[in-house]
Amino acid sequence: MTIGFIGNPNSGKTTLFNAYTGANLKVANWPGVTVEKKEGALKYHGRIFKLVDLPGAYSLSSYTLEETVAENYILSGEVDVLINVVDASSLERNLYLTLQLLELGKPLVIALNMMDIVEKRGMEIDLHRLHDILGVPVVPVSALKRRGLDSLIHAAAHHRDETGAKNNKNNNNFEFARKIKPEAKTEFSEFSEFEEKYSVIEAIVGEVLVNREKANLITNKADAILTNKFSGLPAFLLIMALVFFLTFLIGDKIKDYIEIIFENFSEFADEALVNLGINEIVHSLITDGIIAGVGAVLSFLPNIFILFIMLAVLEDSGYMSRVAYVMNGIMTKIGLSGKAFVPMLLGFGCSVPAVMATRSLGSSKDRLRTIIVIPFMSCSAKLPIYILFSGMFFPGYSALAAYSMYLIGFILGIFSAFIFNKIDNRYSIRKHNEENNSLIIELPGYKTPGFRTVFIYVWEKIKDYILRAGTVIFAASVIIWGVMHLGFSGYTNNIAESFGAVLGEKLAVILSPAGLGFWQAGVALIAGFAAKEIVAASFAILFGVANVTSDSGMSMLSAELSAIGFGSLNAYCLMLFSLLYPPCAAALAVIRRESGSWGKLGAVIIFQVGVAWVVSFAVYQIFSLFL
Amino acid sequence: MNVKSISRHKLIKLTDGVKNKIYTVKKINLPVKILKHLEALGMTPGAEIIVLNKKSSALIAGFRGTRFALGRQIAENIEITEIIKGGV
Repeated sequence: MTIGFIGNPNSGKTTLFNAYTGANLKVANWPGVTVEKKEGALKYHGRIFKLVDLPGAYSLSSYTLEETVAENYILSGEVDVLINVVDASSLERNLYLTLQLLELGKPLVIALNMMDIVEKRGMEIDLHRLHDILGVPVVPVSALKRRGLDSLIHAAAHHRDETGAKNNKNNNNFEFARKIKPEAKTEFSEFSEFEEKYSVIEAIVGEVLVNREKANLITNKADAILTNKFSGLPAFLLIMALVFFLTFLIGDKIKDYIEIIFENFSEFADEALVNLGINEIVHSLITDGIIAGVGAVLSFLPNIFILFIMLAVLEDSGYMSRVAYVMNGIMTKIGLSGKAFVPMLLGFGCSVPAVMATRSLGSSKDRLRTIIVIPFMSCSAKLPIYILFSGMFFPGYSALAAYSMYLIGFILGIFSAFIFNKIDNRYSIRKHNEENNSLIIELPGYKTPGFRTVFIYVWEKIKDYILRAGTVIFAASVIIWGVMHLGFSGYTNNIAESFGAVLGEKLAVILSPAGLGFWQAGVALIAGFAAKEIVAASFAILFGVANVTSDSGMSMLSAELSAIGFGSLNAYCLMLFSLLYPPCAAALAVIRRESGSWGKLGAVIIFQVGVAWVVSFAVYQIFSLFL
Repeated sequence: MNVKSISRHKLIKLTDGVKNKIYTVKKINLPVKILKHLEALGMTPGAEIIVLNKKSSALIAGFRGTRFALGRQIAENIEITEIIKGGV
């Protein structure tokens, strides 16, 4: 039996779905489109239920892609029972979708979520009356506090078994109105469908809701500062500074402990391989290749972990959509709406979901422009590069040096969007329709982020990071080790004869004016196309430093780098180049899919390589004069 | 609650609404696609609306128990009228 969860965005639908399925869900895309499809299984009273989390929808009127996907799925007949998650604290708006669903005649159960908030605000909902009027089961739940979960599934299973669809087949607005006022006649003739439904909803809410005018005081107070004309922007910058401060400094503190484990492990592995009499080449592959590469990437887990906790908290607390409002002024000046800023902010985590999030933007032009600048928002995989190189070359100022990457990326992103807008306005024949990309975004009430929601969000990202370390980065580590130990004459210990050196030397010629005229940098940057963490891992492998993130490893690597003439300015240029050059293969694949053409992908790559080279070149040449 | 009895008051743009004062939506002059989206969200003629926050590029409006941030190009095409106290 398949149960579909449908509800308005911010109704707590996903929290409720997660409460049933936990972190064991299958995430895929809806056929043909890249809107996330989440499926989970639930065993209840010996029966297996397939749960499907449908995309958030305000209505079935297909305004957004999400709504189209939800509607198509419901109509496809794949779903047996629908659970309509309704935010009880904003009943009026949520019931619009409910009335539309009732008209479809599918078995429907209403999960009245956020009842705790309703109670806190001194409101009461007459559940019996609501059930009477709507004619379908109404179950009060709290997804966050995991209350009412059993009753809800029970109601869904039961509703399907006993009543099927017959109960609500003949529901229409007129019938509802009659249930509230028996004398009502068809007085809707002069109204549009929207007005008709909302006038029915007004009558329903009038019947079932007591003390309805209580304002959300906490949200009002918080918004007075966070969305204020003057304090909104400084508050946002302060929050972002806090996010990165915690990511760098607290993350580094935890990292110290992880390093001790890694150090012991690599020493143990080294001894074990010697004791077992393993072949020298295999020994080198394992310690200098795999352990150095994969270990370098894994030791940054604490920083990544904290960054994603912070992003999850921003999202779940309701603050993320405020950022769209706060940034709308700046974004309008560059021809985008504040809504486009949300995908950009997500880009600080990972470009892949960020590029997919541009689906919420109205026009394809806006989407493309947003997609082009997303890679400039420094993603979490670039963090290891910054931490490693700023730690080695900017002692005492490492957090500042790393933070400067975020700022430069952000400013360049905004600036490029501005330039694209200018070009677009000059050459486009049809004037850009301003209303089409104007801001419409719900600002949900603030709430304390749910532990479970944050945990599941962070766990998914961490799982992905570890998985990448075990697959892509593992493979890349082996390849990089191979490239620098194999040459035209077979296995070699003389790195200068290796394929890596030969290839890297060619790249070094091009990269030299940008301060990166080292074959190792060329190899690392090329390898970085597989995943950005590899840039950091490559240096560990290329210089054969096993515990590159420990104090001793860092001083060893920085001594090796200094010996080839790679100084702090070169390090800064490497960080800049890594920040600005095209994103990893996974992100490029998503850009190709979302932009719909190879040509656009090619343009994005050329643009980003160009920007990376020009900016690094400028910085290197200017600062070379002073240093 | 019955909002049809209110009228005879001059129409103003939502962008000219005074903060924290209750108005009713009268007319929306926007392309059909956006109009339908707004109506599905509950911004139908007659709905009560309140301006919660304002700045030059956008404003925050509350209607049907939820708050939305609306860009200026949208907000200035929504016409509202004042509710007369005690007139309902």
